[in-house]
Amino acid sequence: MKKSFLYPIVFMSLLTAIFTFILAFMEFGTAERVQQNLELELQRKILYVFNIPVVDNSAEVVNAVFEDKITQDEDVFIYKEDGQTVGYAFPAKGPGLWGGIETYVGISEDYSTILGLAIITQNETPGLGGRIGEEEFLSQFRNLDVSSAVEGGYITYRPAAGGNVDAVAGATLTSKSVSTFLNEDIHNFLAERKGE
Amino acid sequence: MAKQTAKNILSMGLWVDNPVFRQLIGICSALAVTNLMVNSLVMGIGLTFVTALSSFTISAIRQFTPKHIRMMVQVLIIAAYVIMVDIYLKAFMPELSKALGPYVGLIITNCIIMGRAEAYAQKNKPIPSFIDGVANGLGYTGVLLFIAFFRELMGFGTLFGVKILGDWWTSWTIMIMPPSAFFLLAIVIWITHNIQDKKSKEVAKS
Repeated sequence: MKKSFLYPIVFMSLLTAIFTFILAFMEFGTAERVQQNLELELQRKILYVFNIPVVDNSAEVVNAVFEDKITQDEDVFIYKEDGQTVGYAFPAKGPGLWGGIETYVGISEDYSTILGLAIITQNETPGLGGRIGEEEFLSQFRNLDVSSAVEGGYITYRPAAGGNVDAVAGATLTSKSVSTFLNEDIHNFLAERKGE
Repeated sequence: MAKQTAKNILSMGLWVDNPVFRQLIGICSALAVTNLMVNSLVMGIGLTFVTALSSFTISAIRQFTPKHIRMMVQVLIIAAYVIMVDIYLKAFMPELSKALGPYVGLIITNCIIMGRAEAYAQKNKPIPSFIDGVANGLGYTGVLLFIAFFRELMGFGTLFGVKILGDWWTSWTIMIMPPSAFFLLAIVIWITHNIQDKKSKEVAKS
């Protein structure tokens, strides 16, 4: 019976159907949770960009603070403290070494200072390029004065002239691509804003 | 084949017939993820889980599986379990899922899983196959952690992200890069083969 022509096809189809069903069921069962995780993650990152302190990292606290201080205008998040706009966070993205890198950049209301940077997604080499997601690298973008930046040169790695940030050691390509797309996207954002 | 006890199967997978330094499979990932202890540990756990369950499933349906499509069946089952791990991590351990990124999906390409399916699960009962999967997964995890121990310690001065060596330690960048894994893996294979050869010679003499 195992030599028959039809048996392998039926067997394979049946097996595929069973496993697909199980996986679809799991996916469906966890979809909401995954979505919530993603949203919460984004809220945390936005709060991080603006350096807004939260008492703890629980979902309720993050949610409450976020609702209180952040409003959204298309893909730009606006941070208001007592009705006064403090800054904007806008997405900046570009190609990394292995895959796309997506970040949010926070900039002050008068466009003179970068408030912070947060990485939303990246697939860089863990331990090397992946370290762009670590505090050591990201903290350099906290309150970074860019008011005197020459056209498009907001982020420059030391030791180049006018350097204001240290690249990640051992991850030249990742670091380069981060500064490239940050400079481009910051420039575009400012051009659009100031042009208004 | 002699009757295999659980203890026997475990010692085969962990030492005597260790997948990495004896069967020489699963090496690609051993090179890739061993720059950090955490990565190695989670990769090892994921692989153990997938190998054990897929071996169990493949063994359970082995009598109904037509011989010539068995590999398709194996890949299907392995892929399904890997996706389950991925979904689980995404839903319940988002932080870890983020840290591991593409590695979870890469478990599927690990030769150990299919190697065990072909070499063991195809010919044995489900329960021993399950234990064999666990044993091989743990054997793999052990080697990974051993290599990662030296790479992380010498490359970053940390273990599991905790600073061990002080500021006086100059990190060896080479240890974080893939080449160092080649050296360390070769050393591991060299040492273990020496020990095992010596033992087998003694057994032969007596």
